[in-house]
Amino acid sequence: MIEVNELTKTYGSGERAVMAVDHVTFTVHPGVVTGFLGPNGAGKSTTMRSILGLDRPTSGTATVNGRAFRDAPAPLSELGALLEAKALDKGRSARNHLLALGATIGVGAGRVDEVLELVGLTDVARSRAGGFSLGMGQRLGIAAALLGDPQAVMLDEPVNGLDPDGIRWIRTLLKDLAGQGRTVFVSSHLMSEMELTADHLIVIGAGRIMADMPMGEFIRQSSQHRVRVISPDAARLRDLLVGPQVAVSSDAPERLEIEGLHAREVGIVAAEHGIVLHQLVDVAPSLEEAFMELTRDSVAYHGSVAQPGKAA
Amino acid sequence: MVTDTDTERTTTGGTTSPPTAPATSARPATWGRVLRSEWIKTRSLRSTWLTAAAILIVVVGFGVLAAMAAGGDISGPNGGGPRLAGRGGPLATVLAGANLAVLVVAVLGAVVGAREFASGMIRTTFAAVPRRLPVLGGKLVTFVAVVLPVVLVGLLGAFFAGMAVLDHSGAATLSWSDDGVARALIGQALYVVGLGLIGLALGVLLRSTAAAIGTTLGAVLFLPALATALLPSDWSTVLKYLPSNAGSAFTSLNPTGDVLTVGQGAAVFAGWVVLASAGAVIALLRRDA
Repeated sequence: MIEVNELTKTYGSGERAVMAVDHVTFTVHPGVVTGFLGPNGAGKSTTMRSILGLDRPTSGTATVNGRAFRDAPAPLSELGALLEAKALDKGRSARNHLLALGATIGVGAGRVDEVLELVGLTDVARSRAGGFSLGMGQRLGIAAALLGDPQAVMLDEPVNGLDPDGIRWIRTLLKDLAGQGRTVFVSSHLMSEMELTADHLIVIGAGRIMADMPMGEFIRQSSQHRVRVISPDAARLRDLLVGPQVAVSSDAPERLEIEGLHAREVGIVAAEHGIVLHQLVDVAPSLEEAFMELTRDSVAYHGSVAQPGKAA
Repeated sequence: MVTDTDTERTTTGGTTSPPTAPATSARPATWGRVLRSEWIKTRSLRSTWLTAAAILIVVVGFGVLAAMAAGGDISGPNGGGPRLAGRGGPLATVLAGANLAVLVVAVLGAVVGAREFASGMIRTTFAAVPRRLPVLGGKLVTFVAVVLPVVLVGLLGAFFAGMAVLDHSGAATLSWSDDGVARALIGQALYVVGLGLIGLALGVLLRSTAAAIGTTLGAVLFLPALATALLPSDWSTVLKYLPSNAGSAFTSLNPTGDVLTVGQGAAVFAGWVVLASAGAVIALLRRDA
């Protein structure tokens, strides 16, 4: 369990002070994968760094399993974290890197070899970590996070640099960890990936929490849900479906787009009236659509089209 | 007993603990375990052993070479072979490599102190040991444990081999039991390691390898020498408290000029090491990593 309470972090001072995180409060519960979403510069990393005690909050608190992480007797067994894949010493082998970390809580070579096997780095365990690709670095960072068999895992952009196989592997791993009753807190800017992995969402924008709810609810409340139907008898179905809460549109003779009903309800109506359906699809808005809608006004760094002649 | 039970309950996490049995048996991150972690880090870097070898070669090699030059066994750059042994005495001759060792060890200290900050490893380290202080303790202890024996062995090797060379060519020699010799040799070893510790502390304080090396060598070694040479002599009452001058009070056999006593020099130098370390502690605990 990770609890963040009224966390505020300001960098710099005086007029140049930048408030990276502004009175942020949320709880990450065990047993589910909690996704942490936000545009670049929204405060994701600052929040994670404050939870780890790497940054000292300007005000507010962050606790892991009920106490400040700094006070954890065996820190690596309470919260395993991956912040940057390349936060390691390039001259040391992967195995020695993990041995040194494990030594802080009395975890030895047996467990080190186990996590190396788990992340698929056994073959390169004795090679210098400086020669690793970004993807291998991520795997080593994940190995470090899992080393102490922690009750909570916090990963910042874990799928960065991983190949499709690696991404699938992470997805399964995170779900397994949550299934074992652990707290899993993961940030990603890859919406489609987050949509597949996370059960719960915390959305941050411009240093403030904008949403904290189950994934399904977030998608449902943020955007309109549609049902797409293809039927030779589209006109008759349309007349049966339209109502005060239901809008039906059509861009081709046999096609319907229905707002305000779910596919299940449309299917029942069609069956009751013996209407043949060739296709019946729930078109849920993607997480990306829902997210963009929510954070449109809070993106810190908008891309802009360069204006020729106006360059400084 | 009541507190024991309470602790037990807290560490197992009560009802929120994962349903699966832990695969590892994690133990508290004590100072001893963090020290072991730092030792593994030091041991597993090739540069540690290369530097140790470099220290030995420099100290023993230059000591023997200087003894040979002083004894007339080899010619100096000007072809002449005057008996140089008299310039600083036989001890200074055989410890010719010690000044180079000072540079090597001071640089090593700065690198050890700043290395993890430069690579970003420090965030991984602090995520494993969020109390931070044991990490610095582990680094300081490991540094002394590795460097002090190497420097001592090097100085003793230079002393005995150098004296044998001098003796062979009939120049004046000193023996281990002569007055002040043992003290000067051990003092020299402690001085070299102490400068390394100052370098380490400055590395942690400045978090940049280049800045730490520059500051250690510049402010601690060259600036005092420069000040001694340029400032009026009545400044010497202040200058003698600088690290290098305080060091020479207990590393040289026959100190000349206005210097501290052996005891004072050792105390003042130790004070500098403690001061630098205290600065590192404060920076380490207060800063965002």
